[in-house]
Amino acid sequence: MKNRLKVLRAERDWSQGDLAERLEVSRQSVNAIETGKYDPSLPLAFRIADLFGLPIEEIFLKD
Amino acid sequence: MAQNPAQRRYMRRMILLSAAYIAAVVLASWLIPDDAAATPLTVTIALVPALATSGFIWAMASYVAELKDEYVRMLEIRKMLVATGFTLALASGWGILELFTTVPRVQLFYVFPVWCLGLAVGSLVNKVTIGDGGPCL
Repeated sequence: MKNRLKVLRAERDWSQGDLAERLEVSRQSVNAIETGKYDPSLPLAFRIADLFGLPIEEIFLKD
Repeated sequence: MAQNPAQRRYMRRMILLSAAYIAAVVLASWLIPDDAAATPLTVTIALVPALATSGFIWAMASYVAELKDEYVRMLEIRKMLVATGFTLALASGWGILELFTTVPRVQLFYVFPVWCLGLAVGSLVNKVTIGDGGPCL
């Protein structure tokens, strides 16, 4: 699944570590999600959406 | 890479269990003479180290259950699945060889160390397929 996480993070000038800290996950997780190697669970996707103040479908896109 | 609380607890438990395992093996070797008969006493003493190995399995299961990071948990579970497949394949392959040929008999005791070796294979599989071997414990 594609996502706009890297763009949204860059807009806020956050590093992967900053985002990981805000989401309470490892930097590895953020990197895996950004690069499309791992699709987050629904609860984590909602946490990401809440953090950016956007609906899930504006962050995660169908292939 | 900094360890998360689950990893720190896991390492603490494994160090304690390893010390208990070594002490139990030394004690059993000291108390049970070579080629001793399987009496209730010798079996009980010999099973004490097995309690520690069961403890290793409990520590690993607790580690996975306590991991808060779902991605790291997925990597660990994949490693364990690969290790299980690796061990089953090796054990059944060698078992068939023992059945039909005169290859040396391997003691069941080695199943657990082989599974632990399988974790390293699992880490390699993660590295090759996902690009991330996961935490090194």
